[in-house]
Amino acid sequence: MDATGWTRRAVLGSLPALGLAACARGGDDPLRMWAMSWEGDYSPLLMPPFTAATGVPVEVQSLPTTASHEKLLIATAGGALPDVFMLFNGWVTEFATIGAIAPVPAPGLVADIFPGVLASTRVGGRDYAVPWSVAPQVNFYRRDLLAAIGYDAPPGDWDDLRAMALKLKRRRPDDYVFLMLLNWPTALVNILSLAGATPLRDRNTRGNFRTAEARQAFAYYASLFADGLAPKALSTEVQDPVAAFAQGYFAIWPSGPTTLRDLAQRGVPPERWSTARCAGPDGPGPLSGQSASLCVSATTRRPAEAWALVRHLTSIDSELHFQRAIGNLPARVRAWASPQMKKPVLRPFAEQMRFPSPDPKVIEWEQIQIQIQFAAERVVRGLQTIPQALADLDERVDRLLAKRRSLVEAGKLA
Amino acid sequence: MTRQERAAWLFCAPVLAIIALVFVLPTALAMALSVTDYSVYALGDWQNLRFVGLGNFVDLLSTPLFWRALGNTLMFAGLGVPMAIGTSLAVALLLHDTTVRWKPLWRVLLFAPYVTSVVATAVVWRFLFNERFGLLNRALGAIGLPPVDWLGNPHTSIPAILLFVTWKTFGYNMIVFTAALSAVPQDLMEAARLDGAGSWRRFRHVTLPAIGPTLLLAAVMSIAGFLQIFAEPYVMTMGGPAQSTTTVLFFMFEEGFKWWNLGQASAVAFILFLMILAITLVQTRIGRRYEWL
Repeated sequence: MDATGWTRRAVLGSLPALGLAACARGGDDPLRMWAMSWEGDYSPLLMPPFTAATGVPVEVQSLPTTASHEKLLIATAGGALPDVFMLFNGWVTEFATIGAIAPVPAPGLVADIFPGVLASTRVGGRDYAVPWSVAPQVNFYRRDLLAAIGYDAPPGDWDDLRAMALKLKRRRPDDYVFLMLLNWPTALVNILSLAGATPLRDRNTRGNFRTAEARQAFAYYASLFADGLAPKALSTEVQDPVAAFAQGYFAIWPSGPTTLRDLAQRGVPPERWSTARCAGPDGPGPLSGQSASLCVSATTRRPAEAWALVRHLTSIDSELHFQRAIGNLPARVRAWASPQMKKPVLRPFAEQMRFPSPDPKVIEWEQIQIQIQFAAERVVRGLQTIPQALADLDERVDRLLAKRRSLVEAGKLA
Repeated sequence: MTRQERAAWLFCAPVLAIIALVFVLPTALAMALSVTDYSVYALGDWQNLRFVGLGNFVDLLSTPLFWRALGNTLMFAGLGVPMAIGTSLAVALLLHDTTVRWKPLWRVLLFAPYVTSVVATAVVWRFLFNERFGLLNRALGAIGLPPVDWLGNPHTSIPAILLFVTWKTFGYNMIVFTAALSAVPQDLMEAARLDGAGSWRRFRHVTLPAIGPTLLLAAVMSIAGFLQIFAEPYVMTMGGPAQSTTTVLFFMFEEGFKWWNLGQASAVAFILFLMILAITLVQTRIGRRYEWL
């Protein structure tokens, strides 16, 4: 043993103790927050004023959107949820049902929010999340490509839109008109909504797809692929849709406000593109405007600070800051009066928000949307006819809802 | 118990304890889960948990996607195992030839894909398979063939992924075979040559029996590996197109971790376990018959 008395064994032996010491560190621990998408990457931008005012630092972790649902569920089961986290509105019912999130403590937090959006975060008459943004889909379109065939904007009803698309396809036979990824359900769910289809029946316990509206929606969707107006591609194949849009691989892209940020970041010149409301069978119609909300974990040890953070992040100032930074649209109605919301590309979003369509409030809605898309993919790839696919879809959705059905029938679930 | 035995148990105890804690216990719990209807509703309230006996298994047998996943997995294994082992053996034989120079360099280069990250290489291969810009379709175009939508067509998606998997994994068995080949007795080889055996007969009657046990081991490991294939379809196609690359493990992952139907997912895991066990037992039988084991 040398003079200092340190041996290798002593040093190694003290390592666990150091680890324990690190865990026991207390005092000014940062509040932990998880968020997905651009919100996850850019939330730290909103933190300096909060930390300056309260002295509480915030540590934001950005989750990949496609893996966020499982990560949040596992964190719930493992008791490892952060103090504050973002949920897509469709997940709020689920996380409230499993007791992962705390009810909103003060009605002021959810004042002045789009009513249709707020309804999606209300479970059993209580608010469980503060909506952070709204995200109706619109058609992003290439102004130059449409101008070349004599259109200022894509028409608002299906027949005119198809006529325009066929004209564009004749002019550019190697490219496409629409991009609707075959494993991404939002475009089709919106088409169903525009066609007036009600996806579930019997108190949301059974599928309701063998209807005239659903058939009409599926037929329209499939025809766009059959006529070569949309590529039969998965998200794994179109690795960079923004670049493809800039190159003119397709001219019309049904997408949400995050695309505003994508186009700006990638330097697509603003005079080359614009937005228009999505087309419906007889002109634009109601669409779900749901996006994301902020929640506070039911197990947080610092609820007051957590709700203060939610209040700060969902303030009109923060929402407008986010609008400039990442394109997110404010969930608070009064924020829309700001001059920055008057840009022409935002107008279709503002109009669409006046025609909301509610999503079914069942835990299984996410899975059901995926099944809807599988059914459509089978039709598009010629593996099934529309009536077969819709009958199959009803059966699969009934199967998904079996547990819910038994709970509803037993009176355990409203 | 002698002193020595006590010491042996003492030394084994930590490992046995860890195995019991992280392997035996979770397996038992998973089996217990597979006879319940544990779902996201049960995560919320334990009152919603019910014992369903073999209900999950009966349900699975009537789930079309499960059969689809099973079919896809068998397709992966049925095509993939011969492809991967055949490539490994062929390359090992080539490298074993005395005329090949710089052998260590070749071994390193061919082994390299095995130790790279699946996700990184899968992303690169997704680019290679791209219908419009992919290198593979460029090559097809150069010899006048039409482009193939490798990962976007339900009929070519499994072969495309297998190409990638073979490239990624053949290096491991290649090294194992190289070791086995170097143990083939040279005097037997020379005797066979003197007897007038051609290269095929020398391979069939001298090399093959000598590397038989290694071949069996490689087959057992490969089949078990291919039956559990997950990361490659997860990264390259997310189970698509039209669910043509949804494998049993992918199905289990989605059911269990994405949707939290852990009862159902545990039943899938149990079935997969039985399948691998059964196939391994059959292989062992075959091995015994040829006296490889």
